[in-house]
Amino acid sequence: MKPALASLYQAIELRQPIPPLLIGERMNANGSKRFRDRLLADDWAGCVEIGVEQEKRGAHVLDVCVAYAGRDEKHDMLELVRRLAGTVKLPLMIDSTTPEVIEAALQIYPGRCIVNSINLEDGGAYLRRVCALLKKYGAAAVALTIHKGGMAMQAPEKIATARQILDIACGEFGMRPQDLLFDALTFTIGAGDETLRDSALQTLEGIRGIKAALPGVGCVLGLSNISFGLAPASRKILNSVFLHEAVLAGLDAAIVDAGSILPLAKIDVADRETCHNLLFDKHTDADKKPLTLFIEHFQAKAGTTPEKANADAEAKKPAEIALTDRIIEGSKEGLEDLLEILMRRMPPVEIINRILIPAMREVGELFGRGELLLPFVLQSAEAMKRAVTLLEPHMPAVQEGHATKILLATVQGDVHDIGKNLVDIILTNNGYKVFNLGIKVPAEVIIEKARELKPDLIGLSGLLVKSALVMKESMRQYREAALGAPILLGGAALTRKFVALDCAPDYDHPVVYCADAFAGLQAVRDFEAGKLRSTTFDTAGAAPLKPGLKNLEIDRNQPVPAPPFLGFRHVRDIPLAEVFPYVNTEALFRGRWGYRRAKLTAEDYEKILAEKVRPLYARLQHDSVSEGLLQPQAAYGYFRCFARDDEVVVRDGQNEYVFGFPRQGAPPHLCIADFFKTEAEGGDIAGFFVVTIGAQLGERTQKLFESNQYHDYLMLHGFGTEVTDALAEYWHAVMRHELGIAGSEPATKAGFVTQDYQGSRYGFGYPACPDLGAQLPVFALLKPDALGITLTENMQMVPEFTTSAIVAHHPQAKYFAV
Amino acid sequence: MTEQKLQKFICTNCGYVYDPANGDVMSHVPPGTAFEHLPEGWVCPVCYVTTDQFDPVD
Ligand code: B12
Ligand SMILES: [Zn+2]
Repeated sequence: MKPALASLYQAIELRQPIPPLLIGERMNANGSKRFRDRLLADDWAGCVEIGVEQEKRGAHVLDVCVAYAGRDEKHDMLELVRRLAGTVKLPLMIDSTTPEVIEAALQIYPGRCIVNSINLEDGGAYLRRVCALLKKYGAAAVALTIHKGGMAMQAPEKIATARQILDIACGEFGMRPQDLLFDALTFTIGAGDETLRDSALQTLEGIRGIKAALPGVGCVLGLSNISFGLAPASRKILNSVFLHEAVLAGLDAAIVDAGSILPLAKIDVADRETCHNLLFDKHTDADKKPLTLFIEHFQAKAGTTPEKANADAEAKKPAEIALTDRIIEGSKEGLEDLLEILMRRMPPVEIINRILIPAMREVGELFGRGELLLPFVLQSAEAMKRAVTLLEPHMPAVQEGHATKILLATVQGDVHDIGKNLVDIILTNNGYKVFNLGIKVPAEVIIEKARELKPDLIGLSGLLVKSALVMKESMRQYREAALGAPILLGGAALTRKFVALDCAPDYDHPVVYCADAFAGLQAVRDFEAGKLRSTTFDTAGAAPLKPGLKNLEIDRNQPVPAPPFLGFRHVRDIPLAEVFPYVNTEALFRGRWGYRRAKLTAEDYEKILAEKVRPLYARLQHDSVSEGLLQPQAAYGYFRCFARDDEVVVRDGQNEYVFGFPRQGAPPHLCIADFFKTEAEGGDIAGFFVVTIGAQLGERTQKLFESNQYHDYLMLHGFGTEVTDALAEYWHAVMRHELGIAGSEPATKAGFVTQDYQGSRYGFGYPACPDLGAQLPVFALLKPDALGITLTENMQMVPEFTTSAIVAHHPQAKYFAV
Repeated sequence: MTEQKLQKFICTNCGYVYDPANGDVMSHVPPGTAFEHLPEGWVCPVCYVTTDQFDPVD
């Protein structure tokens, strides 16, 4: 009896009089987006329609693959098989690797199916299980030449594997050789992969060998693999020529997009020859590889524009490399297609482990060497996140329990979260489970959450000097709470020395200093490898230098300027046009945004600035104005005061407020109080201000972060930070004018940085006045609440983009560190 | 022979420019000191960040 398949309506012979038997490949949840979308929407009629279309395009058999993570494969297979059985005339190929699904489908199908596929990957257990079903239901099967060591690459290996499968299927289970279609496996020759250069030849040899060595069996190929990575038009031609060659070698069936195969007669001789040279690895040119000639030939033919040529060069990259490049370039373009190609070759977890993580590591290394700028790191993180999101539905959901868990928080009293969020991004994208507790998190909450979530590691962030102290002081609390997890510490206020000497000794598990997010990633890896140790510090190191003159005599005879008014005032409509010129674009571009020149030449850096950075800045200015994201406001005032030792006592009507300031421990032993006259000297005038750009911009950045738009988030955030700073700079200038001390204003922006004006302003929380508690009297004096500015119990100002300062008019008053 | 002009560096955090021609008088760094030769432990005189936060500038 001739081997045949059958539906309710007709029988189709496995050996077509004019080979090959065409098996339609479009009903595949992994290979066809159109089909997948319909499947995910439970649009069964739509799925069946794709089957009908293929029938019209000339397919003889329909492959049905519904395996898709998160869906019930058995349910979907039964649903579809039932519907197809009644509506299409063609017999089906049940494409699944789950024996239960295969059996269920075979049970209900009213005809004779072929199963795709069996193999020897696990050494034979799966093969035997499916063969028993094949025999029981009388089905045919596609057998892939995959053995325990993996996919058979060379012809002899393909033939040997086929023989082993045949021995089991026919020898042990009594199947007929005619009902086996061996797939000698096709690998792409379009990707420039040297190891695959002769793979078409090996496949053709394999087919020839299998047919010769194993009488009666058939051969099948998944055809389109051969040309992955090439331009679509040339793919069609190469696929068709390859199919022709394979049929000559003895191929009986092909899994294809039926309508896309061209009859050989329709392919011109030059095209055919170019394809032959590529398929048979025939070198006809001393310098150029067959692949290069192939690409050039079809490019010239298409009369390709340079743009398209570029796209083709792009397309000829192996998908692995293309994906790596996407991550490093931070581009999300074509990610879906690349992942789809790769998923045919490896499971999603492998794509993450073998391609995405190494790519992100490379990004980290480039960043570490200063060869990649921060904005690009964020774009890479976004691309990575997007790729992971695309892969997620294809991954088994069990992962969670295994992934190392990290709890992240910015410590009490600290709002800085950009760094911590960056750590979140990098760890999450590397497959770790992150619990991000947010900002200003008290030690008690960290302990409570750690008990609840049982993280493997705890990461704390803090950028204020005060936060470093908070970390130090809470170590004992964490030890007493017996958290049992190593603690990673990061943030600009910390040093290796501080962590090693002040934090680590008070905790009973490793305490590790992380200079950046990638150091954090490394620490997590070290933890997994069981080699995470506390940070150590060699105390023999040199003491750091403190800038500033060592002998400075403060002039006590400085005249006190006349304030325009006493008390506070609120200003609601500050024109942005006045503020923007004060934006410190150097700090914005290089600091906040991370567009550093680093190793670039001055010309190349200028090019980036001109093409990218300045236009972005202009756009943000424009958009933030037109969308009303900036509402600059100020609460400010002038008050009588006098210095008393290290304090400045401020009088407002009946009320008296005392501001305490630290004094330098080393010469010249400065303290902010030194810049104000004592009561005996006649007292003085102090200015204060609180300025804000309002809440809108902060809300917008929050949204960007939540929707994974890290790059835009950092750009807008940095912009907001610097506009806030510019507003402070502008308002300080306004106050100098009002005080009549604006005689020597800086001529350039750099002059504002170095304070080439009379006096200074000191922000609360900054080195010369680190006590954030001073915000309370500032709020009492200026009543910024009326502008919607409030103070949290941890002395943080809300909205986020708000800053406050005390203004000193003394010419010797400049920044200094305590 | 023309004298090689020393590269200026800018603080990426605050915009302070270290110009070797001027040195940093406040921190006793004499004029003519190349950025690379600043003393160990030198920080930005304006915002106190370390030298790794600096970027070449013209
Ligand atoms: C942006 C910013 C703000 C923003 C913060 C917005 C936000 N949502 O984060 C706003 C404008 C709100 C702000 C407010 C204030 N700020 Co501020 N701010 C900064 C600034 C300019 C940048 C910080 C930043 O985001 N850097 C970029 C990120 C990516 O770097 P990073 O945080 O260091 O993180 C990296 C590493 O440190 C590490 N890391 C960090 N955390 C962790 C954690 C773990 C577990 C690991 C593994 C790694 C790790 O990995 C990260 C990525 O590689 C710094 C200056 C500076 N250069 O640091 C000042 C700075 C931190 N701020 C300062 C001050 C004083 C304030 C205010 C008090 C000012 C005021 N008077 O209003 C307020 C109040 C804040 C408070 N109480 O917390 C001072 C701190 C001084 C001090 N040492 O105490 C600084 C240093 C400025 C200065 N030169 O004086 N600030
Ligand atoms: Zn600086």
